Amino acid sequence: MKLYEYEAKQILSGAGIPVPRGALAKTPEQVREIVEQLKSPVVLKPQTLVKARGKAGLIKVASGPQEAVELSPSLFGREHAGEVIDTILVEEKVKLVGELFLGIAVDYTGYMPVFLISPNGGVEIETLAREKPDRVRKFPVPVSQGMTEKEALTLARFIGEHWAEMNHGKHLAELQRIILCFYQVFWNYDCELAEINPLGIRDDFSLIALDGNMAIDEESQFRHPELIRPRAQTEESARQEQDFRTRGWTYLQMDGDIGILSSGAGITMAIMDLIHLGGGKPANFLDTAQMNRQGIYDAFQIFHGSAKIKVLLVNIFAGLNRCDELALGIRDYLNAFRPSFPIVVRMIGNRETEGREILKEIGITPIAGLEEAVDRAIALVR
Amino acid sequence: MSILAFRDTNVLIQGITGNAARHHTKNMLEYGTRIVAGARPGSGGEDVHGVPVYNTVAEACRRHRIDASILFIPAKAVKDAALDAMENGIRLLVIVTEHVPLHDAMEVFEEAKKKGTVIIGPNTPGMISPPENAKLGFVPTMYFEPGSIGVASRSGTLTYEFVSRLTAVGMGQSTVIGVGGDRMVGLRFGSTLKLFEADPDTRGVLLVGEIGGAMEEEAAGMVASKEIRKPVFAYIAGSTAPEGKRIGHAGAIIAGSVGTVVGKLTTLREAGIHVGKTIAETVGMMREMLKN
Repeated sequence: MKLYEYEAKQILSGAGIPVPRGALAKTPEQVREIVEQLKSPVVLKPQTLVKARGKAGLIKVASGPQEAVELSPSLFGREHAGEVIDTILVEEKVKLVGELFLGIAVDYTGYMPVFLISPNGGVEIETLAREKPDRVRKFPVPVSQGMTEKEALTLARFIGEHWAEMNHGKHLAELQRIILCFYQVFWNYDCELAEINPLGIRDDFSLIALDGNMAIDEESQFRHPELIRPRAQTEESARQEQDFRTRGWTYLQMDGDIGILSSGAGITMAIMDLIHLGGGKPANFLDTAQMNRQGIYDAFQIFHGSAKIKVLLVNIFAGLNRCDELALGIRDYLNAFRPSFPIVVRMIGNRETEGREILKEIGITPIAGLEEAVDRAIALVR
Repeated sequence: MSILAFRDTNVLIQGITGNAARHHTKNMLEYGTRIVAGARPGSGGEDVHGVPVYNTVAEACRRHRIDASILFIPAKAVKDAALDAMENGIRLLVIVTEHVPLHDAMEVFEEAKKKGTVIIGPNTPGMISPPENAKLGFVPTMYFEPGSIGVASRSGTLTYEFVSRLTAVGMGQSTVIGVGGDRMVGLRFGSTLKLFEADPDTRGVLLVGEIGGAMEEEAAGMVASKEIRKPVFAYIAGSTAPEGKRIGHAGAIIAGSVGTVVGKLTTLREAGIHVGKTIAETVGMMREMLKN
């Protein structure tokens, strides 16, 4: 779960890392009020989960309240990578002499967080690490001991080597303190990724976090209930997202016309591959985990009202569950509704014969081979 | 022979009194797995399908020799249960639980590295060694047959699909391992390949992968360097899916050169792994190359 910049900054600030003064605005009028209170030139930063706002020309600098108000209508309501801008973080403009990068990511094969630090902040760290690897220091952190004062100082000194003015006890101690606080944030908030890019250097060589990037591990959300919020844009899709989460389903909408109802991410992806290879287009990715009679009935509802679906491919491989139970779920649905599209069922596994009998009663002949079922679905679309 | 789980592997079930655990304990016993004890605080003295239950892992370990533990434990409690098992000297853990917090997993794996514990999972249906009648987890047994194909898979349902087809054409399995669907899992394709390489009764290995992650590339490196000499086959699900979104730049750096799906397939092929475009094609290749 990605956090907005303002959420990340609140957390960083709460942990003792300096951030610019500022507040959130939902309207141009609020923008004016904030700028008047700040009494300083400001930066208008639209709050979106997808970054690269600078490149998209979405970050604006204003010298005073009037200019800020004039600029804000060009931001509110604008779309950025599918998100509609409705909130702007209005911050004092901070004068910098340099920018650092601090980041903590997870090494999934080394089973450790890795702390990354660079004297070249504000740029794409990915590119930097490729082109100038000596400008990026990586330090894997053993989680049982965490970031130690000694290691934090070593990392700070690496910056001191590249920034002569930073290479003084007082400044290094402050950077060390920020490194320690930042690791604490990463750990306490169950982050899978945290970045301060840039960590600005002011003309007195004090440090300030100008941007914050945090992604919280989805599985740890229960430890951070205060951060959970609906992330879907409409109320309808928020409800659906919540419903699927409760059920443990993963659903992704796609561009095609062949609906897929199958359980298990791997097999569903394999079905999508077969559809693509056969020249068809999947309408969705739906992984329903475990299935039962009610579950398959409910899953049918997702496709029920869809105008773009031309055929629904149902794949049942009953290893832990039973074909007859799932066939009953399909029958329940077809007794209650009349879908506008044909249904192709592939079914094998436990109590397959009984399941076939039930489907035969409602006029469906299940197919045993996965490839044949996919071919049939593609043929029906044509 | 097989790998990791054998006829005489003594198994503990942590969280044995839950509904799913009871159900699968019964299935495992019926298959032939030697489940010798269960653990669950407050349930000491009970029994589940004839298996004695102890209040603590320590007590179970005092009364029995325990070689492996299967954790049927809620996600929030997995860390403590796994650390407990390792503390008591158990060297093979199967964590079937889904949704284990990432930081908890890091703590568990750091300890496992120190102790040399093999962890399968989290988020896995477990493993099965058909020649040994040993099943640690909940794979449906009906399609598995003893044989000489080793299988490691990131996907449960796809494993069953593959195994049913292998069995149908007479290619039984030595051991089948679900390595788990999480981004961070214990036993990966690479370490599984090493175990299969050392097993005289495994003739060839099938890797069932997915897009994303670096596990397949890691295995490819071992095949390319001839550390693995047995024939290795692979199928990567989702190779026609649109590219996933990345969560941030630092993540991409750590993941290394992990790039496009095409890149992944090319890496595998260049290493000498036989990659099928579909399930049917992969099984066809295996049949062709491993016949006799």
